[in-house]
Amino acid sequence: MSITASAEGAGRVRRPLGLMPTAVLLLGALYCLLPVAWVLMAASKTRGELFSTNAFAPGTGLLENLSDLSAYRDGIFWQWMANTALYAGVGAVLSTAVSVLAGYALAKFRFFGQNLIFNVLIGGILVPSVVLAVPQYLLLAKAGLADTYWAVLLPSILHPYSIYLARIYAAAAIPDALLEAGRIDGASEGRLLRVVAVPLMGPGMVTIFLFQFVAIWNNFLLPFIMLADDHRFPLTVGLYTLLVTGANQPALYNLVITGALLSIIPLIALFLTMQRYWRTDLSGGSVKS
Amino acid sequence: MRTKRLRTVLTALLVGALAAGCSSTPDEAAPQETGPVDLTFWTWAPNMDKIAAVWNAEHPDIHVTVSKQAGGDEAAAKFLTAAKAGNAPDLVQAEYQMLPSFVAAEAVADIKAEVSAAKAQFSDGIWGLVTLGTDGVYGLPQDSGPMMLYYRTDLFTKYGIAVPKTWDEYAAAARAVHAKDKTVYLGGFSSKDPGWFAGLAQQAGGQWWSIQGESWKVGIDEGPTRKVADFWGGLAAEGVVDTQAPWTPEWNAALNNGKVLSWASAVWAPGVLSSNAPDGKGKWAIAPLPQWSAGESYSGFWGGSSIAVAAGSKHRAAAAQFATWLNTDTKALDLLIKEAAVYPAAKGGQALLTTAPDYFANQPDFWAQATAISSSARGFTFGPNVNVAYSAYKDAFDKAVQQKSSFGAALTAVQEATVADMKKSGFTLVS
Amino acid sequence: MTKANRGARASRAGATPYLYLAPAVVLFTLFVAAPIGYTAYLSLRRVKFSGLGLGKKSRTEIFVGLDNYRAALADGEFWDGWVRVLGYAAMVLTLMLGLALLFALLLDSARVRLPRFSRIAIFLPYAVPGVVATLLWGFLYPPSMSPIHAGLHAVGVDGVDLLSPSTIVFSMVNVAVWGGTGFNMLVLYTQLRAVPRDYYEAARIDGAGELAIALRIKVPMLAPALVLTTVFSIIATMQVFTEPTTLRSISNSVSSTWSPLMNVYGDAFVTGDLYSASATSLVIALIALVPSLGFLRLVRRRAFGEER
Repeated sequence: MSITASAEGAGRVRRPLGLMPTAVLLLGALYCLLPVAWVLMAASKTRGELFSTNAFAPGTGLLENLSDLSAYRDGIFWQWMANTALYAGVGAVLSTAVSVLAGYALAKFRFFGQNLIFNVLIGGILVPSVVLAVPQYLLLAKAGLADTYWAVLLPSILHPYSIYLARIYAAAAIPDALLEAGRIDGASEGRLLRVVAVPLMGPGMVTIFLFQFVAIWNNFLLPFIMLADDHRFPLTVGLYTLLVTGANQPALYNLVITGALLSIIPLIALFLTMQRYWRTDLSGGSVKS
Repeated sequence: MRTKRLRTVLTALLVGALAAGCSSTPDEAAPQETGPVDLTFWTWAPNMDKIAAVWNAEHPDIHVTVSKQAGGDEAAAKFLTAAKAGNAPDLVQAEYQMLPSFVAAEAVADIKAEVSAAKAQFSDGIWGLVTLGTDGVYGLPQDSGPMMLYYRTDLFTKYGIAVPKTWDEYAAAARAVHAKDKTVYLGGFSSKDPGWFAGLAQQAGGQWWSIQGESWKVGIDEGPTRKVADFWGGLAAEGVVDTQAPWTPEWNAALNNGKVLSWASAVWAPGVLSSNAPDGKGKWAIAPLPQWSAGESYSGFWGGSSIAVAAGSKHRAAAAQFATWLNTDTKALDLLIKEAAVYPAAKGGQALLTTAPDYFANQPDFWAQATAISSSARGFTFGPNVNVAYSAYKDAFDKAVQQKSSFGAALTAVQEATVADMKKSGFTLVS
Repeated sequence: MTKANRGARASRAGATPYLYLAPAVVLFTLFVAAPIGYTAYLSLRRVKFSGLGLGKKSRTEIFVGLDNYRAALADGEFWDGWVRVLGYAAMVLTLMLGLALLFALLLDSARVRLPRFSRIAIFLPYAVPGVVATLLWGFLYPPSMSPIHAGLHAVGVDGVDLLSPSTIVFSMVNVAVWGGTGFNMLVLYTQLRAVPRDYYEAARIDGAGELAIALRIKVPMLAPALVLTTVFSIIATMQVFTEPTTLRSISNSVSSTWSPLMNVYGDAFVTGDLYSASATSLVIALIALVPSLGFLRLVRRRAFGEER
């Protein structure tokens, strides 16, 4: 809380403490980055170095770890990486589409049962995923879908949080007047969705896509329950099998840490490429279309 | 228009998915044992797929597909859930302590008819772990974990202590070492490893579960185990044994840099040591566990697993045939040792072990010692709710270690939790 | 919005909103409602053994009514868990949302340098999977190898055990705040970016400073998003599971029933008792509903009055 106080103080006395907001943000960034920096350093260490050298000192084994990881079970790590990209990519696209449609409908239409549908959809978040995973598995197994790509993909699509976000974005970004004007001009609902709603919700969609992508990328329990064949595993479950290899075999720490580092890199790349979309000024866009 | 397309796509996806699901169901009704048989096998042993490939090459009629699993507590729950959903694999690796709960859940098959010929390959103690003391046979033993004392030869010399022959000597040595250097311990007590504690209880003659007629008897909080608990409780209260959580980087570091001089562990420890304490190579040696009375020679088991056939398997005979081959055939045992780094349960497999592990190059008779120790391990019966007892152990002993309170009271808590759970589930108990 | 134009739009909406909602509703039915229904069904049942429980037909699944619920509610550890979680939740909510709001406002103010770097950096922990976080804190908390302890030592503080019974909760809070601040910051920040800039221009012309704009214009604008993040954070902290489970593997101070959801996990994934797990999880969902609804009710009019 002391941080908050000092930052507010910075605003009040503007000139002399002009760098204060930057400093506060950088402190926050440092706090968040340090453990990640640790992963980077640890991934460069050999087995011996991992348990004996300073946490933030680089080691000498990065290339060796990388080649060991690639060689493990004939390169299955890269299969996990590809699987994860598939789950997260396809899942997040579908999820964004479903959420945006639902959010737009909830924000910009009035219809019978609106509140009920919204509350029920959002209520889904009250049920922990730990709870849902087992019955989801039992039901999907009955449909013959357990241990398939579908078993991970389908339950990942719906996310109450994203629908809520989509509703907020739609409400904030799409002026009612614009829709009314379109309707008066005789535009169909489908055209309004395509030409007005989707472009205006662009930045919001990027955010939703990103959240979904990360959520699916990092999801552990669902694929852990659903999948038995490790050729379909995503990274999290794959790394977990490396870490927990049974009572009588050592955890493959080096491989897990190197794998962990590699598993974060695509997400960082994604943030960096996606972030320019967040800067799009919503109000500017609305005038043009 | 866009919505329409989206909707169509989504509908198609769902319908397609469900259709795919339905169309895959009829396969299960395939007639038994005609034509090549496909078996799935859940295991966490490394390189099992390579071993299965050898089998597949020699047996074109029975094809085994390996699914590599994570080990740990969740592995058992995952199999039980799959069995409940009718989705279990044909073959599953099952830790010995989990086998009774698999049997109770009717998730694994009695394969006595198919495998009884293999009995002679295993010691009675090990075979008891797959019969559970009943008439049935619920799996084939794969590996075992006879317990022994691993110690640092160089540091034992440095601190001037001899290899303890009895637990009394162990206690004296623990005090001596810690008195010389407050940061160093002779060994540790693990509140996170119920399997370790169960192994020590076995050595002392404890029987946590036993069958009397048609009833279970729970004897966790009884003489032999009490003795073990009080012994470690005393050392922990004095602060002369390390009680930190094991299997953490901190613990690995202590093993690696000589802050811990010995480890009462099982035959699979060389893998752990070479991976997590690489600096100690050539400095460790093994000896039998300290004994409760001088002149005795007993050990217990920590870990080990069997290969069971799922009750839902459509190919029980073929699966049993593979399990038997895997765990008794000389070629398979050789592969298990070399590829999966397994200490085989079969006597024939133990005879194949001649070259000491690289990490123990200083102790050429490593396997001879291990085999001798293995034959001194006492038998044990696991009950149908080992997970409840083990979970209670972690909670009770975590707390006892943390609060430096009585280990005996913790043991009583484990016994009570185990009995209460069995009563709730309807098992008949000896009153 | 007024009643009148609601009515006007409703009459024109027709089937369109239902079509747009159909995918979400279908997915909800298949993957949320049906599993919950199944959970409710399981929660009323239990497996009963007879004799040794090892022979054939010694195991039956029976209907036990509300027995599983009674057992869950009668378990003292379950309620102790709630007490621990309440303290934990209070700390996490204040720190995490406070920092998220602060960072979002700072990022949105014009005079900050390196905003992109800070934004990505603060969001980064969100990209670290729980499995990796477990490893990470396993290396960072224990004393002998930890840079945290080295840092404390450098400023003259020694002998702090981050994993002892009295400090463990702060270690958990740290993991949660570290992992969750970035996500909430991004939600708030995205909302701020959706506010037309000319709102602020008018205020600036009137001579308002950045702080005044932040407090009097931005924070109220953020109200819906703040409500959203608060409610979801309340629900998430009530379901806290990852952090204690993570630290349990490296510390003796966390029991297997530290938080209520750990009971569920233990029943479902360690002891294989799906029936108790089902009952306990429904109880948790209901309990988590109370503060969430309470909070929503408290702020609803204020927050959603400003939504459009």
